[in-house]
Amino acid sequence: MHFKGEMHYRAKALSGVVTQFFWGLMYIYLYSAFMGRGGIEGFSTSQMVTYVWLGQAFFAMRYVNTPKKVCQQIENGDICYNFVRPLNLYNQWYASYIGSTLASTLLRFLPIIFIAFLLPSGMGMSLPVSIEAFLLFLVALILGMLINGAISMFSVYLTFITQSSRGVSSIVNTITAVFGGILIPLPMFPQAMQQVLNFLPFRFISDLPFRIYIGNVDIKTALIQIAISLAWLVILILIGKLLIKSSLKKTVIQGG
Amino acid sequence: MLYNKYLKMNLRSAMQYKANTLFLMIAQTLVTIAELFTIWIMFKQFKSVGYWGFYETVLMFGIITTVFSFAECFARGYDEFANLIRTGNLDRLLVRPRNLHLQILGQKVEFAKFGRVILGIVVSIIAIVNLSVQWTIWKVLVLIGTYFCGAVIIVGIFMIGAGISVFTVENLEFLNIITNGGKELAFYPINIYNKWLARIFTFILPFACFNYLPISYIMGYGSLNPVIYAISPFIGMLFIIPCVLFFNWCISKYQSTGT
Repeated sequence: MHFKGEMHYRAKALSGVVTQFFWGLMYIYLYSAFMGRGGIEGFSTSQMVTYVWLGQAFFAMRYVNTPKKVCQQIENGDICYNFVRPLNLYNQWYASYIGSTLASTLLRFLPIIFIAFLLPSGMGMSLPVSIEAFLLFLVALILGMLINGAISMFSVYLTFITQSSRGVSSIVNTITAVFGGILIPLPMFPQAMQQVLNFLPFRFISDLPFRIYIGNVDIKTALIQIAISLAWLVILILIGKLLIKSSLKKTVIQGG
Repeated sequence: MLYNKYLKMNLRSAMQYKANTLFLMIAQTLVTIAELFTIWIMFKQFKSVGYWGFYETVLMFGIITTVFSFAECFARGYDEFANLIRTGNLDRLLVRPRNLHLQILGQKVEFAKFGRVILGIVVSIIAIVNLSVQWTIWKVLVLIGTYFCGAVIIVGIFMIGAGISVFTVENLEFLNIITNGGKELAFYPINIYNKWLARIFTFILPFACFNYLPISYIMGYGSLNPVIYAISPFIGMLFIIPCVLFFNWCISKYQSTGT
């Protein structure tokens, strides 16, 4: 249902593609200016370029959004109508979030990937390092999207507590943007910091799949990391379900 | 004065939800800190970019954060102009016998953004203290002018966006390029980017006038006559004139959505 809803906005998607393209170019110029000709160990300029374009193409999957409709319902009290329905709210919200994320990604990623491959070398995207890496990239990307959804459910929970979705979404957005490699690709972080970030779930959303694609992690490490992200997914969903359940029990409904 | 009344009204409505406003302010301050953190990481990893060092970049970051948040705080009405059109509220403003710009400015003053203005100033001061510059009266004047110039240009950019939304009704995403795109671009000295990108953001959208041009003067960088760098922010302010004209022209073409 949500999938169809998103598909209606074609013109919006086109304007989105133009925007994404600009951001991609801007980041590439910026990082190249810093990296000079050499780059850093394990992250060459051409890998950086591919990382940036992947980031722009799968933009919709990278950011953890706060589901607008649900939060509006929480803020204006309409949420109470859902209580009488015989549905598991967590499952419903989660599914609809994944649906709309998937739709906006599918609408956008092809044109950007296409243009990025056509660009001259130094600006353009490269192919994945191997077929195995590409397949693992797809697996990791899907897992990443599912983790994204699970984190997003935490922001719903926080909205229940604070009753302010704008503040919550801004905080959740920022944390994932920094620790998930959206503001700067994680391979550009100092080593010590990367080690810490490896213990957090945020990097599995998009950083891990992109690194597998560009060959920054080898196949063996990739398999281990994918197993870890699977574990994170299960943990996050379980905790999320418990939290939402408990907050539904003590909900205070705003207004009449 | 009417604007004072608008201000008080907005302040009162923000104070109705004190916790909410405060929470928003903290959340948005966090965004700025995160952005500053990324600049720190870039310089930790790469030391410098061209001849630009860390604190010069931090000063530019402080400037853009201050002026952008200032514009978002007080000129939010232009930024959210599409809402005015969609809801039909613009018609109400147009029939009132008062200045339209004044009413738009008064529509929404977002005090939650003010935390970021203060943070931007604090960041600028930290940068200035850490820069080794021989301050002269001219340099101080140019620096002050830079902030004014920045605020004026950002408001002008919001006006362009507002003018365009008269035709598109919806806020189109690619307008993001000139607002948020320009903002992120101006975190760093604009002349480190590719030539055509730097030219667009110098001559068409004059972000450079409150970014690397005046800072070049203060630091004594660059190959042109220093006077050119020094007067750049004052020339950049002229940008507001075509913006106002464009906005007024768009309004004259306005047809109500009929709500």
